[in-house]
Amino acid sequence: MGRGYIVQDDVEGYLSKLCEQKADPVTGLLIGQSSTQRDFVVMAIRTPQKEESAAAARNSVDKEWVTEHARQVSRMLPGGLSVVGVFIITDADAKDALTTLRQLLFAVENLISSEHLWDPADDDVTDCVTLQINPKTRKTVCRTFDIKDPKSVAKPADWKYQSGLCSSWATVSCSLNVDMLLPLPNNRTSTGNMEECLKKGLKAWAHQIECGLCLIDGKRLPEDSELTVGQRRNLRQTYTAQLLITTENKRLTDVIRQCGGSVSVTGAIHSRAYLHSNKPKARQAEKLLKRDVVSTVATRVQMMLEELLASDQESKGSCRDKQQKELFCLPHRIFCPLKVSGPLCVCDYQFSDEDLSEVPERLKEMLDIDAAEEDLDTRQEMTVEITGCDVTPEPTQEKVEAPEHKKNYIGVAMATAVALLATVASMLYLNDI
Amino acid sequence: MVVVDSESATILRVKGLLEFRCQLDSTDEQLVRNAISRTFETLRSQVKSESCVLAVSDSPVIIWPNKDAYATPEEITPSTPCEDMHQWIQADEQETSGKKSSKKKSKKSSLASVINLRLMTEVTKPGPLSAPILTKTVLKSHFVSVTLPLDCVVRTGRSDTIKDACEQLIEALTHQLCEMEKVTLQNMKGMTLLVPEPVHFLLPEPKGLVTVVYPAGVPDSQLVTQRKELHQQFELPDDRPYFRRANAYHFPNEPYKDGYLRNPHLALTHPTLDNGKVYLVQGIYSYHHYMQDRVDDNGWGCAYRSLQTICSWFQQQGYVEKPVPTHKEIQQALVDVGDKQASFVGSRQWIGSIEVQAVLSHLLGLTSKILFVSQGAELASKGRELANHFLTEGTPVMIGGGVLAHTILGVAWSETTGQIRYLILDPHYTGAEDLQVITDKGWCGWKGPDFWDQTAYYNLCLPQRPKVI
Repeated sequence: MGRGYIVQDDVEGYLSKLCEQKADPVTGLLIGQSSTQRDFVVMAIRTPQKEESAAAARNSVDKEWVTEHARQVSRMLPGGLSVVGVFIITDADAKDALTTLRQLLFAVENLISSEHLWDPADDDVTDCVTLQINPKTRKTVCRTFDIKDPKSVAKPADWKYQSGLCSSWATVSCSLNVDMLLPLPNNRTSTGNMEECLKKGLKAWAHQIECGLCLIDGKRLPEDSELTVGQRRNLRQTYTAQLLITTENKRLTDVIRQCGGSVSVTGAIHSRAYLHSNKPKARQAEKLLKRDVVSTVATRVQMMLEELLASDQESKGSCRDKQQKELFCLPHRIFCPLKVSGPLCVCDYQFSDEDLSEVPERLKEMLDIDAAEEDLDTRQEMTVEITGCDVTPEPTQEKVEAPEHKKNYIGVAMATAVALLATVASMLYLNDI
Repeated sequence: MVVVDSESATILRVKGLLEFRCQLDSTDEQLVRNAISRTFETLRSQVKSESCVLAVSDSPVIIWPNKDAYATPEEITPSTPCEDMHQWIQADEQETSGKKSSKKKSKKSSLASVINLRLMTEVTKPGPLSAPILTKTVLKSHFVSVTLPLDCVVRTGRSDTIKDACEQLIEALTHQLCEMEKVTLQNMKGMTLLVPEPVHFLLPEPKGLVTVVYPAGVPDSQLVTQRKELHQQFELPDDRPYFRRANAYHFPNEPYKDGYLRNPHLALTHPTLDNGKVYLVQGIYSYHHYMQDRVDDNGWGCAYRSLQTICSWFQQQGYVEKPVPTHKEIQQALVDVGDKQASFVGSRQWIGSIEVQAVLSHLLGLTSKILFVSQGAELASKGRELANHFLTEGTPVMIGGGVLAHTILGVAWSETTGQIRYLILDPHYTGAEDLQVITDKGWCGWKGPDFWDQTAYYNLCLPQRPKVI
């Protein structure tokens, strides 16, 4: 018995339109939620056009580009929604197409999961879907692969369109305080060092969140219970979560160390996760929300680091005996509904110096959705105003850094991402299956 | 396993780890102290804030002490009596079976009940809130990163509500952070810092449980001044220790890691004699007997085991830091003092009270008195001496005679009638650490004067307490 994917009916229309385009092949991502009971696909997103690509290159699949697009898209999905598969629209030979799809799928999923700061859970679904559509006959072939198994073979799966899928989702959300203080190593404090230090700190913090106690609507629900247990039917299907954490790590030795400075992340984030509302389980809600909490903070920090690297903001390391303090506003999260009705949203991050109009442009480029500024929900997080703050008695050089942005977002992100992940990326492609 | 209070008070114990982190911009002593004090102040505010949460262990109860004691589940309100929390706690079956005794049927025994709470932090807050800021400070400096092991105890009265308890707990936590700050600053030497550790001590009533913050890693021998101050503060006699680390109170629901039973005699009902009084060993000892520690000493090791029980008493009252000696170590000590030949070590030879006295002196620096009776029948007349011993010294007594050795843990004696009973701990037991069996079958039990061989002669070793704090 293969898996069965229930797909929002809009997706059929979207894929149909892509079939009518002249380009071949057209690749893209499938977004949805997979659980042990059901699999849902709520949208399909075509891979954006690469700007300066040779004519010849347009007719082949650029694996690196598809993977990078997937990584960017993954950052724009709140908890519960993820890249569950890839599609290709081509009239090439079916077997070749399947091979290409398989390579894309593994590359995409491996890259995305390599950025996760949490450990995979036993009840995670590791099957992902590939969809092949012949543009002339419109015939669709749907197969799944188990991405945990590099030798996995294609298994047939069902692909069924259904309307109204987007309205039957429960939303769990919270606003959460982050307060991290980490020492910087006692040598040249470049952005690279700060990245390593932040990654370690984030991993430890992510573990705290993972082990934290989760209350939903003020109650501690037993593991296997459903979200709606003991409540009158919550028509709007929104739940508020609370997270209580403790420190697990006992640090009792080597308590004072030399350092080259410190980096802190303080402030709050809004986190959200969606569950399909047919008997949503409390345990899954907790898992998906915690993962969103961790990834939204990690994503913002990563984005900030990428911006710093891109705009070459190395700290002028010569005068290190005088204290140098820099403050950076992490981007804040903006939500955009997928449809006029229905709770599902995608999200984007806006830097403090960006204009709100840039967000719909990014949404169009990355997610191929048409959104107007008025549709955007900017109320979940507040932007912070940094005025000169005198925390230390010594005179400090304080500058609020406003990293510059270029219009071709994916291009910029791609360049810096490759710079930062050079080793990882090359390893992925070397291990091609 | 120590009786605390006849009023069946509830003890609330809150434990938690708080992260103490700060960057020290300079090495100037005053600035460093200021930075440390500031960080402690931040932690105190955290404990008094709405994000401070107390979760009751083994139960679904969670309390926000600084939000007017709001709690979940909703059946718990600020005016709920503290005692009611017991109903929500799922007792651990395995732990209570060890204490089961046919004589104690009611749950509300005179043992104080302890409710454990975990200190947690709520990181969520109603939004919208400000997005995060990343601050990067570049400066060659020092970073302090410590986890503070908070551990506070509060005793609540019968009529206290959850709200009252919360106020007391938050006050205890803030006070402990102040104590920790004091101890940390006192023990700072340049750029090294000792972790402040709270230890609980049970003082004689009405003082009850008291918590002291000691710097970790500093041995008892270097803390004499602090102990002197404490003895003065609590008006305690200055000839016996109350505040050594080994004197730390052992909470009833915490198992002992070494597996030995503690004070099995507490599970017994003591005999009532006309005009008689019961005089018992004071403090805590471990029950040592045949076949323990994978040593098969069945038939020859009884005096060794009795000696081990005595050593365990001195260790747990804080007089010695040495662990309980093994049979070989006991034998080696006797060789070292010239009492035995080298071939004695590894043998199965018996020892008597004189040897016990010698080992206590040589290994642990303790003095003991020897009491001699030429006939077992005479023991009945030693009531006054034994009663006095338990009153003043309160140490377990080793008695050897005939072919057997035993430990005397107390006497029940009537000055007028001369009736006497002996509380005996028998080292000849070969079974497992099962309190039920040990008390039911009399391995720890009250014996009459006919317990002794009426014609054999007996030597008793009465160890003396050193007069130190």
